[in-house]
Amino acid sequence: VSAGPADEEHYDVVVIGAGVNGALVAKQLTHAKLRVLVLEAGPGTAWTFDGYSGHLQHFFAASGKGPESAWPPALNAPQPDTADIRSGGGYFVQTGPQMYGSSYSRLLGGSTLHWLGVSLRMLPEDFELHTRYGVGVDWPLGYTDLEPYYRMAEMEIGVAADVADQVHLGVTFPAGYDYPMQRIPPSWSDQVLAAAVDGMQIRMADDLYTLKIRNYPAARNSIPRGDYQPVGAVDQPADGQALARDLGQRCAGNTACTPICPIQAKYNAAKTLAQADPTRLVVRTQAVASRIHVDPDSGLVSGIEYQRYDDPTSSRHTVHVASGRIYVLAAHAVENAKLLLTSGLEGASGQVGRNLMDHPCLYAWGLSKDPIGAFRGPLSTAGLDDLRGGGFRANHAAFRFDIGNDGWRAPTGAPDATVADAVSAQGRYGSKLRDHLTSVLSRQVRFSLAVEQLPAPGNRVSVDPRYTDALGNARPVLSYSIDDYTLAGMAAATEVYQAVFRQAGITDCTDPEAGTWFPSVTYQDREFHYHGMGHFAGTHVMGDSPERSVVDTDQRSWEHRNLFLLGSGSFPTMGTSNPTLTMAALTLRSAESLVRELAS
Amino acid sequence: VKHEHLEDMLQAAVELELATIPPYLCALYSMHPDANPAASLIVRSVVVEEMLHMILAANVLNAIGGQPRVTGPTHAPKYPHELPDGVVLDLLPFGPDAVQAFLQVENPQYRTSGSNSSHALSDRRPQVHQARAATVGSGPTTIGAFYDEIITELEKAAATDGDGLFCGDPARQVTKDYYYAGGGAPIMVTDLASARRALTEVIDQGEGNPASMYDVDGDLAHYYRFEQVAVDRTYLRRDTAGAPSGPSLGVDYTAVFPMVANPKSDEYRDPDLRNASRAANRMWSLVLRQVEIACNGQPAALLPAVHTMFRLRDRMLLLLANPMPDHPGRNAGPTFEWDLPDE
Repeated sequence: VSAGPADEEHYDVVVIGAGVNGALVAKQLTHAKLRVLVLEAGPGTAWTFDGYSGHLQHFFAASGKGPESAWPPALNAPQPDTADIRSGGGYFVQTGPQMYGSSYSRLLGGSTLHWLGVSLRMLPEDFELHTRYGVGVDWPLGYTDLEPYYRMAEMEIGVAADVADQVHLGVTFPAGYDYPMQRIPPSWSDQVLAAAVDGMQIRMADDLYTLKIRNYPAARNSIPRGDYQPVGAVDQPADGQALARDLGQRCAGNTACTPICPIQAKYNAAKTLAQADPTRLVVRTQAVASRIHVDPDSGLVSGIEYQRYDDPTSSRHTVHVASGRIYVLAAHAVENAKLLLTSGLEGASGQVGRNLMDHPCLYAWGLSKDPIGAFRGPLSTAGLDDLRGGGFRANHAAFRFDIGNDGWRAPTGAPDATVADAVSAQGRYGSKLRDHLTSVLSRQVRFSLAVEQLPAPGNRVSVDPRYTDALGNARPVLSYSIDDYTLAGMAAATEVYQAVFRQAGITDCTDPEAGTWFPSVTYQDREFHYHGMGHFAGTHVMGDSPERSVVDTDQRSWEHRNLFLLGSGSFPTMGTSNPTLTMAALTLRSAESLVRELAS
Repeated sequence: VKHEHLEDMLQAAVELELATIPPYLCALYSMHPDANPAASLIVRSVVVEEMLHMILAANVLNAIGGQPRVTGPTHAPKYPHELPDGVVLDLLPFGPDAVQAFLQVENPQYRTSGSNSSHALSDRRPQVHQARAATVGSGPTTIGAFYDEIITELEKAAATDGDGLFCGDPARQVTKDYYYAGGGAPIMVTDLASARRALTEVIDQGEGNPASMYDVDGDLAHYYRFEQVAVDRTYLRRDTAGAPSGPSLGVDYTAVFPMVANPKSDEYRDPDLRNASRAANRMWSLVLRQVEIACNGQPAALLPAVHTMFRLRDRMLLLLANPMPDHPGRNAGPTFEWDLPDE
């Protein structure tokens, strides 16, 4: 380790993290003529087309195709890997009792590099869980406060959907509004399932729910509405020959959204960063924020100390300090909390790092009677989300089902595993093998049952001086459990998927013992094998009082008034939508407030 | 009033743009997967602009009440294909010969050092097919001059007929809803001004503006893109024409499937190759049929055509990866012959 001279540099705003929140805030602020420094812990390889192509090659060459397989970390910006959960090693230190099942990426672009792209809004009732159902907490702002920012977010990240599909469960849109692009066409599987399932009724608590297979809003390019221009591949070459930007202006149905869209038709944060005003933006990659300096008298942040490295495989680095009028942590729910805690800023509320949530998720898989065209199209184009809201939430968690277009890939390792099973276990060969595979692979159905989790103070990120990375920075220590509210939701979700399979004539083949390994949790007399959805939330919750929360509704720290904490860490609860669209909306709202303050 | 001569010229323009596409596709897909990333991006960037040019020419033809045709033995291109300025388009793998030919196509002033008519190629050109543009124009002409002639004819007809010239149904125009990712958005043609804009874009992107190496979008003109491949050196912003000074593109002519020049399905005596070739030709023909439907009142037909193009690519790759038993050292390749029954 070499500690260089601490040089000072000054900006209007210093942003930590070049993921979706950092990129959105950088774009908004630079367009308001403010000078912004973005510090990114990992490499900026996704910023160039060649670099992105390198990640694609890495994915092709990887033997396992998990969410991280295209995005190897730098030594000095280590990241969690879902493969570590079984081995117990890796970046996270997990103290249990349950394993936290999700991962994220520390690279320019962040986890949007490997997200699925689903862009659901939260339900109005998700913001009022305590008032309506007596569980969880209420948000300090409501759906109507956030609605205009949802529209802005849908424009900024480019969401394809039809409003007509999305108006239900209390979700509203202003008259005349529609998404910037038409919906991604439903897959054949979506259509076959809809024909069988739409209209079926489920009784839950005292209510009847009518099910409908519904198209998912997706941050993937599709036919534009009005003057909207779909944003294709990021190509920022120094010589000005941006030949790759024609790629990815429409989703081409590659079944690899996670871990990497091969043509960048799916949104990633580098697209937003490329739209920032380059004359006012400095993006410094391979720069790990390591400490927040705070003036002890005023409580204001006075600088961000960071470690810069040239070689992603070496821990050689130099130490610098960046300062600004305002500081924005947009490094990820876990990294934001980690940086606060290692800087000694746990705060009087005691809430920093606590209330960590995810959507623990079960796989259900089966065989349909007729071919449904598995392994074609984006990984998921529709879901069953009628049980995201309702009176039953007083008793157990809400849930939604992703309907997969990729057969049993995720739960069993199909199609390879299907071939191995047919040859080794069933002794098939020749034309009988071919006929068998043609018949079986095209009928594979997969649901992901994503279940809501409520905030619990014991589910937390902490730091421990015994656990550090190559640069001497803390590794996150995770304590995590899944409570009965969520487990009862898993049980209810299981009954619903079984009813749906019966209704659609799908033979249930769900067998976690035979499938890919996932951690498990027991509830009453049963064992649920679950995986994470990558939906980290709740580590610096938003609230209306400094005693019980870390940030206010602008995501401004109660204790450090020139510090903003952006991202799903601010969520008091997370409902059942994936968090990206909601955090993008919150970030745009924060950016508006920042511009108002700084431009005056 | 029917404008038969104008319609003939615009139909010839549609065919001209279409004819440039197969040679570029041969170069693009003959590169080994993952090899020549910079060169493949350049070829790809040009071929998608040629697709745009075909759609722009079709929009102008539709605007004056014509019916663009790209199917059948009459309209689908045949190879070797001679352009009105005498340049011959061959189906070749990526290599020095192909790059020299592309330089010629994209710059009428460029004269090759002879490799375009090299001995190796001469016995693979049993019959050269003339572009329709060579017969409907006023004589031997460059592509740019051919388009200038069309614009002049349009201006004359508009002066005589006024608004009557642009009598086509606007619903037949292919708009950005269905055409995308191809070097810019298509232009809806409804009058002389938009027709001029559409055809000027074709000239500008193709031959470039003599005053600048870069087009209006700030992209290098096609000729200069290919010149980088020819000399294996990238242009930097400060560079002057003919003297690129940037880094190497890493051009590797050995990382290429050595496709035989101008193959014909009939040459494939191996039944597997012959079947693979017919399958590729059917897919190519299906693309053309879908494009023709799209340009004749049903632009949404371009959506399934994208899927067909992926299938065509897969069938091309199958041919390109297979050696030809009776041509040692050479692989098979797509023949781009019309092969669908009339409907």
